[in-house]
Amino acid sequence: MKDFQNTKTILLILAIISFTNSYSCDLCGCTTSSGSASFGDLQMTSFVGLRYIYQTYESKNGIFDNSPTSEEQFNTYQLWARVPLGKSFYVSAILPFQDLSRKFQGNTESINGVGDMTLIGWYNLKIYKSNSENKEAIDFSTNKELTGHSFNFGLGVKAPTGKFEEELTDRVNPGFQVGTGSWDAIATVMYNYGNNNLGLNTTFAYYLKSENKNEYRFGNQFSVSSNLFYKLKTKKMDISPFVGISGDVYDSIEQYGETLADTNGHLYNCSLGSEFNLKDFQLGLQYTLPIHQDFFGGNVEAKNRFSVYLNYKL
Amino acid sequence: MKILKYTFALLLCATLSSCSSDDDSNSEDLTGQTGTLTLKFDNGVGDQDFIFGTSYNKSSAESYKLETLKYIISNVRVKDENGNTFTYPSADNVFIVDEAESNNAGEIYIDLDNVDAANYTEITFGLGIDQDRYALGAEGQGNFLTQAEAAGMMWSWATGYRFMRFDGTFSSATVTDEALNIHMGSVGTSLDNYREITLQFPNTVRVRETTTPQVHIVADIAKVFDGETSVELSNGYSQVHTDATTTTVIANNFQNAFSVHHVHNE
Repeated sequence: MKDFQNTKTILLILAIISFTNSYSCDLCGCTTSSGSASFGDLQMTSFVGLRYIYQTYESKNGIFDNSPTSEEQFNTYQLWARVPLGKSFYVSAILPFQDLSRKFQGNTESINGVGDMTLIGWYNLKIYKSNSENKEAIDFSTNKELTGHSFNFGLGVKAPTGKFEEELTDRVNPGFQVGTGSWDAIATVMYNYGNNNLGLNTTFAYYLKSENKNEYRFGNQFSVSSNLFYKLKTKKMDISPFVGISGDVYDSIEQYGETLADTNGHLYNCSLGSEFNLKDFQLGLQYTLPIHQDFFGGNVEAKNRFSVYLNYKL
Repeated sequence: MKILKYTFALLLCATLSSCSSDDDSNSEDLTGQTGTLTLKFDNGVGDQDFIFGTSYNKSSAESYKLETLKYIISNVRVKDENGNTFTYPSADNVFIVDEAESNNAGEIYIDLDNVDAANYTEITFGLGIDQDRYALGAEGQGNFLTQAEAAGMMWSWATGYRFMRFDGTFSSATVTDEALNIHMGSVGTSLDNYREITLQFPNTVRVRETTTPQVHIVADIAKVFDGETSVELSNGYSQVHTDATTTTVIANNFQNAFSVHHVHNE
């Protein structure tokens, strides 16, 4: 009963946070290589796998209300993994391949290539049940009963393995890039809760972006995402349908140390999906729909997003 | 708690490294270096991109449609962060901005070559032809005289240049699709309607041998009719040619129609 109350409180807090802050999108090609779509699966297993993310954006090609729009399609293929390092540590890595195209007045142009790689080292902290008189105290010693709550603290980098083309920054959508050309620091905290049939993952991530060699610096980014899932066990496989909310807030882009107007923004999403666990394999499907957004002075509009992943459990 | 320490150390490093590269830009030696500066003129009506044949509402319950929209820009000069001014060579420093020659995004490009490399903060340009250039006589106009004649931007040499051509029709409560011709200019040396416009750049424009910055200039055509003065087309402003009163009002209105929307450094 205590557990249930805790869960309720936490859910409420998360709901409030998710609505006041925001998290989620990997905005577009380069600024997207991680974040929104989470760093791993729902069940926190160790795996190597492939993930495909399809996103569409609509950008205005001009500065007026009636300027023509272009449609951008972002196909991201990721090689991703979560590998344990001992008992409490693990590493997650994402190496994307970006295939971006944009349609404008009958013309299609594309850029593709390896995107920016993300590498994060994590420390996992499990919360155990207290056996003392004081029920509020949390005991970190081992040999205790698990509460189902755990925290994961991650620190990582995003390396400029993708190519940044300065020429493309003249576009209304500065995210039309396979890479940012910069080394970025990532600090993240993940909270997980799971009991026999319910689970909750909430991730907070802050991306500290540095200036690339073109003296162009994408805005720092704060992301929050929270997914609530239900574990359905059948004879053949485990099915975990989930719902989630997420939000991303972006600071303004800077170039030559000056802030560029109308380059900040935010995006709030809700998502729906399911994960299927069958022996050594894991299949995930996720559909994401923007609820509220304001990017680049309203000149860029994120449409819905679809992702699918297939992992091999380690 | 070691982890926390490392976190802060890493974040600190990233913060410092992202700041450090600013220092060397001031000591950059630009002597003798030149580059190209592109001016992108973009005609709009309020928050709408201007489109030929579209009916636009103005004050006094009137509306107008245009088939021709062009104007003369001259004497372009830019001021850098140290207060030095670079003036484009006079003989080439005169241009016709013609909406009919715009690209599919409705922008008209003017490329200024061999501009001194510097960090510019401000631009000044003239609308029309100033008296000094006119005083050079027909022979002193170079190729521009032929270009202006071909574009219909001349009356006679004695009267001089038309600084602008807005041709189309207008409608009001009482008339429908009446002829509209706004051909403001100076009249010889007796009436000077040349105006200058100075605009600050929202971001520094960095001209270099390897980079061609673009300055996106918006002309709000609505302000030509509803600017400093709101004019009534059906009351003396459907035909603006050489009249001292109406041309002056239009020149003053047009002078305040320009703004720099943004700049690109690339």
